[in-house]
Amino acid sequence: MPTKAIDPPGITWLRVSPKYVTVRLVEWAIGNLIAVVVLSLPLIFVLLGWWTWPPLWLAVTAPSLMLILAVWRLVLIPRQVRAIGYAERDDDLLIRGGIFFQRVMVVPYGRMQYVDIGVGPLERWLGLCTLKLHTASAGTNAQIPGLPESEGARLREQLSARGEARLAGL
Amino acid sequence: MEAAGDAGPAGVSPGNADGEWLRVHPASPFVRGWIALAAIGYFFGRDIFERLIQGGPLIDDRMAGRAPWLLAAGSVILVLAILGFIMTWYFTRYQVAEGYVRVKTGFLFRQQRQARLDRVQAIDVVQPLLARIFGLAELRFEVADAGESAVRLAFLRMDDARQLRATILARAAGVTPDPESPDAVVQEAPEQTVLSVPPSRLVGSLLLSEQSVFVLLGAVGSVLLSVLTGNSGFFLYLIPAALGLAAAYWSSFNKGYNFTAAISPDGIRLRYGLLDTQAQTLPPGRIQALRVFQPPIWRLFGWYRMHVNVAGYGAAGGNGEGGSRTTLLPVGTLADVMTMMSLVLPDPGTPDAARIFAAGINGRENDGGFITTPERARLLAPLAWRRNGYAATDTALLLRSGRWWRQLVVVPHQRTQSIALHQGPVARRFGVADLVLHTTAGPVVPRLIQADVDVARALFQEQAARARAARKRQTSEQWLAQVAPATPIAEPPALSGQLAPSEPLAPSQDGPQNG
Repeated sequence: MPTKAIDPPGITWLRVSPKYVTVRLVEWAIGNLIAVVVLSLPLIFVLLGWWTWPPLWLAVTAPSLMLILAVWRLVLIPRQVRAIGYAERDDDLLIRGGIFFQRVMVVPYGRMQYVDIGVGPLERWLGLCTLKLHTASAGTNAQIPGLPESEGARLREQLSARGEARLAGL
Repeated sequence: MEAAGDAGPAGVSPGNADGEWLRVHPASPFVRGWIALAAIGYFFGRDIFERLIQGGPLIDDRMAGRAPWLLAAGSVILVLAILGFIMTWYFTRYQVAEGYVRVKTGFLFRQQRQARLDRVQAIDVVQPLLARIFGLAELRFEVADAGESAVRLAFLRMDDARQLRATILARAAGVTPDPESPDAVVQEAPEQTVLSVPPSRLVGSLLLSEQSVFVLLGAVGSVLLSVLTGNSGFFLYLIPAALGLAAAYWSSFNKGYNFTAAISPDGIRLRYGLLDTQAQTLPPGRIQALRVFQPPIWRLFGWYRMHVNVAGYGAAGGNGEGGSRTTLLPVGTLADVMTMMSLVLPDPGTPDAARIFAAGINGRENDGGFITTPERARLLAPLAWRRNGYAATDTALLLRSGRWWRQLVVVPHQRTQSIALHQGPVARRFGVADLVLHTTAGPVVPRLIQADVDVARALFQEQAARARAARKRQTSEQWLAQVAPATPIAEPPALSGQLAPSEPLAPSQDGPQNG
C-alpha cells in the first residue's frame, strides 16, 4: 500500500471511523456538484440558443473537465479517509494523512498548548468529532477528523493529562 | 503639567517599588498624541496663515458672525483632547511585583493586564525621535503570543526604562530580592559589545541589495522604453516610484544605522537606529530559530544577514517594524555571523562548530558532515541539490539550502514544536521527502528540502527523540536556575570566527546522536 511510503517503521496506526466517509461525501457533493452545475449553465444557454458565445466545444469541455475532476476526487475519498491515522506514543502523538501528498507529523505532548474538539451538524448526526491540537507554532496544523465521540473525548483527556505531565516551556 | 511632581515615585526607581502602582511620565500623552495635536493645529492654523499672507481679514466676512462659535467649538475639541490625554495618563498605572508585571488602563472601560515575568520573551526599549528629544523611552514587554506587545509602557524616562528593564530581567532570571534590603536597586547587568556594523558597510549592503537590482533593471527598462517610443514625458510617471524607493532606502538606513550587538548575563542586546533608536534584549534561550542568508551579490564581499524567530515578535515580515525587530544582524562578515551564532547557541553541541557552521553557510556536498539530496533527485533541484541538506549537533539541527540565495537555518533541539514529513507524487517518484520543523511565527521557516526518504524518516525519529531529550534537560523558564551563576557567556566570545566550546547547559546529553 503506497500510504506506507514515509511512515516511520513499527507504528500501529489507529484509523478514524469509516463513517467519516459520509461527511466527506456530503462536503464533496456540496462543493463539486454546485461547481459542475454552474459550469454547465453556459452549455444549457448555448444549446437553448440564448447565447452565441462561448462556442459549443468550450461550453462542453469546461463542465466535463470539472466533472472528471469531481469524479476523481470522489473515487479518492474512501482511500483518503483510510489513510488518516494517529498513534499515541509515550512522549508524542503521531498523525498521518494523504495518499498523493502524504504527511506524517509528530506533536510532543509537552508542546501542546490546547486541544480543541469541533463537531459540525453532520458529524453530530453521525456521532463523530474533529480533534485539533495547537502548539506555539502556527505551522502545526494537526487535526484528526472523523473520530467517534467517545474516542475523541478519551483522546482529549489523555492528551491533556499527558501534556500536563510533560509540560515544557516554549 | 502641574502633575509633574506625581512622577516622583517613577523617578526614584521602579526596582524598589514592589506593590506600588506607578504612572508613566506625564509628558508621554503629548509625545504620543503629538500627531493629533499637530493635526488640530494645522487644521485651524492653515486657514489663518493663508489669510494673513493674502493680506485679507483674519476671518472671512461670511464667517465673521459665526467666528465665536467656531472658536468655541475648536477650543472645546482641544480641551477635550487634552483632557482625554490627561485622563488616559492618570488612569494608566503599572506595577512590578511578585513575579508579575501588571498594567491598569482605561477609565470607562477598565482593563487590568498581568503578565508573568518569567514568561518574558524579549524586552525592547524604543525611542521615537520626539521621545528621544524629551529623554523618554517606551518599554515593550513581549510574551509568546506572536502578536502585539503584551505590555507597552509609553513613556518612561530613559533611566527609569533601563532600570525597569534590569529589574524585570533580574526577576525573570530568578534573582530574588534580598529580604534584608528589599529596596536595593537592581544593578543593570554588565554588557560587552561584541560587534557593530560600520555605516559604510550598511550603505554598501543597501546599494547591493536585491531591491537595487530591480531599481537598476527598472531604470534601464524605462530608458529603453523612452528611447524606443521617443516619449520623454514617460519619466514623470517614475517620480512617485523614485520617492517610494528613497523612502524604503531611508527606512532601512534609519533602522540599520549604528547597529551594535552586545552580550550580558541577561541575554543578547541589540541596539540600532539613527533618528528613532531601539534597544532589544533577548534573554537566553528565547531564540526559536535562526537564519543566515546571503543574496548572490553579497557574496562578492562576503556579507550575510541574520534573522531570528522570537515568540513575542510574531510573523511580521518585510521592511516594517517587525522586520527590523527580527533582524539579528543586518549585514555582517562571516566572523560576525560566527560571533552571533556563538551568542545564540553558547553550546554548539559539537567540538568542531566553526567548521560545521562554515560548511552550512558556504559549503556544499558533504563538507562538515552535511547530508544532501541524493544524486538521483538532482533533476528536482538541478543547482541546489548539492547544497540542500542537514547536519545535526547535540544541541541544534542545521538545515542548509540554496545555491545562489544561500541559506542556513539553525533550530535548537529544545525549541522544536512539532515535526512533519511531507511527500508529494513527484518527490515519491524520486524517493525523496521534505522534513518541516514547526517553530513559532517569524521570518524563519525551517525546512529540509528533498532528503532521501530513508534519511528523512530516520531524521524524523531521531529529531523527535533529540527534542524530547532536550526538553527534559530544560527544566525552568528562569535562566539562572538552568545555568550556573558563572555563565559561560561571561567570558568574551571568540571574535575570530572560532566558537569556543563552552560548557554544556547540563551534564546529561542522553539524546541519540548523529554527528
